[in-house]
This record gives sequence, C-alpha cells and structure tokens, in this order.
Amino acid sequence: MIVVTELTKRYGPTPALDRLSFEVHPGVVTGFLGPNGAGKSTALRIILGLHRPTSGEALIGNRRYDRIRRPMREVGAVLDADAAHPGRTAFHHLACLARSNGIGMARVTAVLEQVGLASVAHKRVGGFSLGMRQRLGIAGALLGDPAVVLLDEPVNGLDAAGIRWIRSTLRSLAAEGRTVLLSSHLMSEMALTVDHVLIIGRGRLLEETSMAEMRDRFERDVLVRSPRADELAPILTGLGASVTATEDGALVAVGVDAPTIGDAAAAASIPIHGLTPRSAPLEDVYLEMTSEAAEYRAAAERVAQP
Amino acid sequence: MTTLRKCPATADTSSAAVPTVPRSRVFRDAVAAEWMKLRTLRSTYAFLASSAAATLLGMLILFLLIQSFDQATAAEQANYETADPTVVVMPFVIFFVGSIGAMSITSEFTTGSIGPGLLAVPQRRVLLGAKATTAAAVGLLGGLLFALLAFAGATLLLCDRPAPLNPWPTWTDAMPTVFCAALVVMVTSTVALGLGAVVRSTASTLVTLGGLVLVAPIFAHFLPTTWQLRFGSILLPNLTPQLAGGNHPYLLSQAGAAAVIVVYVVVALGAGALSFSRRDAS
Repeated sequence: MIVVTELTKRYGPTPALDRLSFEVHPGVVTGFLGPNGAGKSTALRIILGLHRPTSGEALIGNRRYDRIRRPMREVGAVLDADAAHPGRTAFHHLACLARSNGIGMARVTAVLEQVGLASVAHKRVGGFSLGMRQRLGIAGALLGDPAVVLLDEPVNGLDAAGIRWIRSTLRSLAAEGRTVLLSSHLMSEMALTVDHVLIIGRGRLLEETSMAEMRDRFERDVLVRSPRADELAPILTGLGASVTATEDGALVAVGVDAPTIGDAAAAASIPIHGLTPRSAPLEDVYLEMTSEAAEYRAAAERVAQP
Repeated sequence: MTTLRKCPATADTSSAAVPTVPRSRVFRDAVAAEWMKLRTLRSTYAFLASSAAATLLGMLILFLLIQSFDQATAAEQANYETADPTVVVMPFVIFFVGSIGAMSITSEFTTGSIGPGLLAVPQRRVLLGAKATTAAAVGLLGGLLFALLAFAGATLLLCDRPAPLNPWPTWTDAMPTVFCAALVVMVTSTVALGLGAVVRSTASTLVTLGGLVLVAPIFAHFLPTTWQLRFGSILLPNLTPQLAGGNHPYLLSQAGAAAVIVVYVVVALGAGALSFSRRDAS
C-alpha cells in the first residue's frame, strides 16, 4: 500500500506538488492521470526517493522508500525508458540491478524471457528501439517479484501487442493482490487498464474515483428503442424525464435511468428493443476536469476545448 | 506471473517474506554491483588501454633519453634529469585511471541510469560509498599495475647506468615510489568520484580532473620559485615522491604528504556525499 500525505514540492516559487494526498491500495490497478506538467512524475519520483519533497511524506508499506534495504524485492518501478546505460547489454543492465539486491542471475534470464527480450539479451541497449527499452525497464521492475509496482507512462513507445501485453501484465499483478500504480496523460489508455483513478492537475488532487463511478457520474442520457415509442414517451415524461424523439424513431430520455425506464415499460406492457445508457466520452470528461489545471496546452487545443 | 513464480527472485530465500538483511550485506552487494557495472562498460577498458598506451609512450621517451645520455659527455651526463617514470608516465595514468572513478558516477547522470541505480540502492551514502570503494580498488589495482610496468620497464632500460639518470641503485629502491604512485592513483580516482558527484557532467568533470592532474603542474612552473614549490607540493602527481621520501625538490615531509592526501579524499568525498544526498537525483 502506498500512502502519500500532504506532499509539497517547490522548484523556486513554482509549486510542482501542492499538499497532494492519496492512497493506493493493493489488488487493483490504480491510474495516476493528469495533463503534462500536472506533477505525476514528480510525485512518483518523490515516492521512490529520487526527489526530496519540500514537505509531506510518501510511504510504501509504512516506510520511506530509502529506508528499504532490499527495495527491488518489495517495489518495482519504471520511470524512464531511457534510463539504462546505452553501452551496457540488456543482460548486464539487469544483472547489475539484481546483484545489488541479492537476486540470482537465473531470475534475470527469466524476466528477459517474460518481456520478450531474451533474443537480444546480449545486445547493447544503445541499439534498442523505444519499445524495447520500455520492455527492459519493465523487466527491471519485475526483477524482484515485488508486491508494489509503479510505472510512469509505461505504454509510451510500445506497439499494439506490447500495449496489450502490459495491460494484461498489470491486471494479473493486481489480481495477485499487488499494489499497482501507473501514470498516464491518456484517458483512453486509463479507461482500458485501471480500476481506480487519481486525477491531478497543477500538483493538486482533482478527483479520486473508480473508473466505473466515473463512467456512471457522467452518464448523459438513455437511448430507448421501442415499436411503441409514442406510447412510452408520455410515461417517461410522467416520471420526470425530458424526452425527445430521434429521426429513426428512437427516444432519448434525460433525467431517468435505464432500470426505471425498463420497469415502467414492463408495467405498461410496452416492448423494449434497445436500452442504451450513454455517457459523455471519458476523454471529454477528463479534458473538462483538467482544463483549469493544464500547465501546458497549445493555442489550437485551447480553441478546440468545449 | 506464473512464469515468475517458477523462478523466484531471491537467490537464497523466498520472495514472499522479505528478510531483513544486515547493513554490511547491503553494502557488500552494492559494492559487487558497482564492480559489475565497471566491468561491463567498454569505457573502463578504453581508459585502461589509454593508460597502457601512456606507459608505452613513456618508455619510448625514457629510451630516447637514455640514448641521448649514452652519447653525452661525462660533464653533460652529470646534469641529466633522472629517468623517473613518476614524471613521464604516472601523471597520464593518474588521469586515465582517475577518469574511471569519475565516470562511475557521471556516466550514470549523463545517461539517466542513476535512476535505476538509486531505485536499487536508495540509501545514497551507501551507493556513493560502494562507488568510492570500487573507484579506490580500480585506482589501486590500476595504479599498481601501470606503476610496476613503468618502473620495471625503466629498470630494464636503465640497466647499470649511473645517477643522476638512474635514481635507484637497485630495483628494490624503486618499490616505495611504486607503491606511493599506486596510492596517489587510488586517491585521485576517489577524488574524481567526489568531483563527479558534485559536477555530474562527464565532460566538465574530466576537464577539471585534467586541469588538476596535467595542467596545474605545468602552470606551477610559471610561478615564482617560492610559490612554485608551495603550490607544486600539494598537487596530486607531485605527492608521490614526497610520500616515498628520499630526494625531491618539494616541501612536504612524508607525514605532511599523507595529511594532504587525506584532506583531498575527505574534501572531495565529503562534498560529493553532501551534494549527492541533498540534491534531487535526476
């Protein structure tokens, strides 16, 4: 479990993190979502002891990261795909990390197999593509078979198969009861991977919710298809819904949920051929939530913003 | 994770319950990892090869000096410089082997690999201590190897030629200088590491090291005699003859030279530890 309490980090007068607090629990994949410059990477670096906080603390399993003597056996992390020495081979990169934590060399071979880099294990990292370096980073994170995994933008540079692989890997890690935290600025990616989401902007926690709750909360309307739509419309209006008809004869009901519509139609013996709750696209929801907090955004993006 | 479970992470215990390990074991493993890092980089071997080349070049210069000595008159021979590899070879060995110590930390900052290094060993003083240990070991072994080669070569070239060209009546007289030269290489390697921990840039650190080891002694020659001796006496390459004792032009006693060595190490590693501990890693 990761517990972050009142974390503040200032670079001169600029606050990168502003009293940020949250918890990450085991057994679920938690997403750390925010626009560029929101403070995601800074928070992860402080949690992992690479940066010093101005105030506040971050604990993993009730300890600061730099108090853990064999950290790779408890926490695995990938912060930067380009963090391996280009002159060293993939095997030696992992072997050096393993040696520092008393991890056997057989394990190095095993994780290289797992991430699909066994065939290039003895090639220098400098010749690797971004996707291969990302896989090598993930291999390093898994090296100690840790109970806590933190990944900063893990799908960057991965191809479709790699993205699917990382999703399934993270899900299986969470299913085994491990604590998984990954950061991303892509809502679409988070929607497919995480169970719980922490949204931050300008170093502050804007929202903490489950992905299912987020979808429900931004449910927009319900599309109803029935051969007797004209009879159903006044019933729904009587339930307090605002109802409009579409060109193809379906009804769009706002202010009433799908189960209530289903029950009302059943009570009136009106057949229902389709009942579709419709939400605002998560990407739109995310942009709306973070629009105030986005640090860097191009002029064109600001114009396109609803 | 099924495949992972077939091959547990821990070499000697189950990963399910993370055992508490003593600090000494943590440090020993960190040193072993740093040693492996040095062994698995080509730049380490490039600097050792450069030291070997400098040794060979130094031997060629000594050979030419001896040739010239043999053709000189007795009066001219009396004014010849000594054929001492401490002057010709060791400053370059000090620079090249010292660069390995510097690169052990600056290359990690330059390539970003300091991140995984600190994730593996997050106690910064332990990590810097491990790097200092390996830098010192490489410095001592490298210094000893090239000092022995240089002095063996010089002894073979000199044969039974007299002083002042030959500074050692027998080869055993050269041994204190050999060991002190190796000690200075070791110290320079740790000083370079401390400097690298402060500066973090490979280029800046190596330029500073080169200035300290190769340029400053030349610069000292242009100072007034009194200052030349004062300044020259505390420069790293000039500490070798002062540590070894015997005849030399400098001001420090053996104990004084040893104290200067200690100051170099304490100041460089102290500044490095302070900077490495307090600043954000990347």
